[in-house]
Amino acid sequence: MKKNNIEGWLFVSPLVIWISLIILVPIYIAFELSLFNVKIIGTSGKFVGIDNYIKLFGKSKFVNASLNSFYWIIGNAICQTFFAFTIALTINYKFPGKKIMANWIILSFIIPTVVVVVIWKLMLSSSSGVINSVLIDIGLLDEATGFFSSPNKAFISLVLINSWRWSPFLALIILSGLNSINREMYDASKVDGANFVQQFLFITFPNLKSVLFVLGLVGTLLSFNIFDIIWLITKGGPSSATTTLPLLIYETAFTKFRISQAATLSIVTSFLLLLFSILFIKSMAPKEDD
Amino acid sequence: MIKENNIKLIFLSLSLLLIILIFFFPFFWIITSSFKSPEEIIATSTTIIPRSFTLEHYNKILFNSDFFIYLKNSLIVSFLSMIISIILSVSAAYGLHKLKFYGNKFVEYSLLVTYAFPGVILLVPIYLLFAKVNLLNSYFALIIVNVLFATPFAVWMLKAFFKLIPNEIEEAAYIDGASRYIVISRIIVPLAAPGIASVAIFCFIISWTEYLFASILISGDNLKTLPVGLAGIVGQYQIDWGFLLSGAVLASLPVILLFVFIGKYFVSGLTEGAVK
Repeated sequence: MKKNNIEGWLFVSPLVIWISLIILVPIYIAFELSLFNVKIIGTSGKFVGIDNYIKLFGKSKFVNASLNSFYWIIGNAICQTFFAFTIALTINYKFPGKKIMANWIILSFIIPTVVVVVIWKLMLSSSSGVINSVLIDIGLLDEATGFFSSPNKAFISLVLINSWRWSPFLALIILSGLNSINREMYDASKVDGANFVQQFLFITFPNLKSVLFVLGLVGTLLSFNIFDIIWLITKGGPSSATTTLPLLIYETAFTKFRISQAATLSIVTSFLLLLFSILFIKSMAPKEDD
Repeated sequence: MIKENNIKLIFLSLSLLLIILIFFFPFFWIITSSFKSPEEIIATSTTIIPRSFTLEHYNKILFNSDFFIYLKNSLIVSFLSMIISIILSVSAAYGLHKLKFYGNKFVEYSLLVTYAFPGVILLVPIYLLFAKVNLLNSYFALIIVNVLFATPFAVWMLKAFFKLIPNEIEEAAYIDGASRYIVISRIIVPLAAPGIASVAIFCFIISWTEYLFASILISGDNLKTLPVGLAGIVGQYQIDWGFLLSGAVLASLPVILLFVFIGKYFVSGLTEGAVK
């Protein structure tokens, strides 16, 4: 195809300029801040070079938050893959009410995250939550448990709540991949005697490659990015068990007011994520056919 | 053959039940709870069918709180963010879709990465930047950020919708002497209208649900958005559940109403066009 350099850039430049300004200028500011020792917003601190970076890697808080972020991404990936595929494969069948369900399954994604927090704080409340009383009624629990009281329970509860919010949206994107698969392949495989597990493994899954690539990349970054659900429910506790890197940055900047430290954290984090993205795109990007 | 169909049916019913319980029951629960008496909400013995009915929580939130101020702020911010996002992303998506130019793959992948760009990384520097240029405590501060978060995925979706428009229609228009501007405004935009509508909802939702930046960039009570207002109640030591629940229901209502009318475009847009 003929290259159309000037016109092409003319069309994309308003957005590209908007986005680059709002990302690159702040990153530059953050980088500058990370080389100084600024404690109070608006004052200029002492130049300390890479001191902040050296100190950061020795901090147990940073190591703890990085590990939490890592577990958070893995936990969410597992839960969301399970929920999203269950929803997508179910909606892909014909059943009465399919249209309504397909339209409204995404409800958990369109409501404000704060509302998600309200819903689950009420449902999982230790004193009057419906989940507790159902679990006691069916004999799985002896007495009401605090879902956010111990480090492990709080972490798992948060992973499930976040997956609850995101899975339906991901399911619809998987569904778009399912819709693009040629129906005839299923019919042909049936003639050859394939059962539906084999169909899933050898037709459905390989054909979802480009969708799964986008989900793998975007999903990982989006999971990493989650802040409000965790902050509004546990504030990172108990005993920092749910403090992921975004929460650590927020806490450092806006409750401890260590601006330079927060900026250093931001720079290190963006570097890590950029590295992940480049490696992921380089190794997993599907070959272009158009 | 019959056996396999039975297994399928069992699987289908089980997963339907699971989906309804997990993804729909919570909504039934908070909506009904928002009409229960305060005592019933916090009672230790839970009742699936409500025993009491009261409008006192709604009364309180509508006539005895800042709800309408927050609602107005949320509507203004989300609406303007949506309009700007759509203009910028229709233009960019058309450029990426139709005009191959030097660096188009780079722009495309960068957009994908920016979609997921962790906002929290920008939080501190954006706060400082906006403080410097006097943008704190303004609608525009939130709009700038919302557009940043909404447009990358919007472009991605729009590109998919543009692909569905047959090339011949456009070619024919050029042969008839139409300019690029005419082609876009008279052919591309009308033909992709359902797609554009679904992308618009997406942009609106992104802005409507945004909490992190709204909580930091806005400190004046008269400019706070609904999520920030609600979060203020969540954070209180003694939560007034009825008040909070009715607020949660009301804060979700506008997006749900929007979804009733154009939601089917959004869902069919996502499932039939996007990400190919």
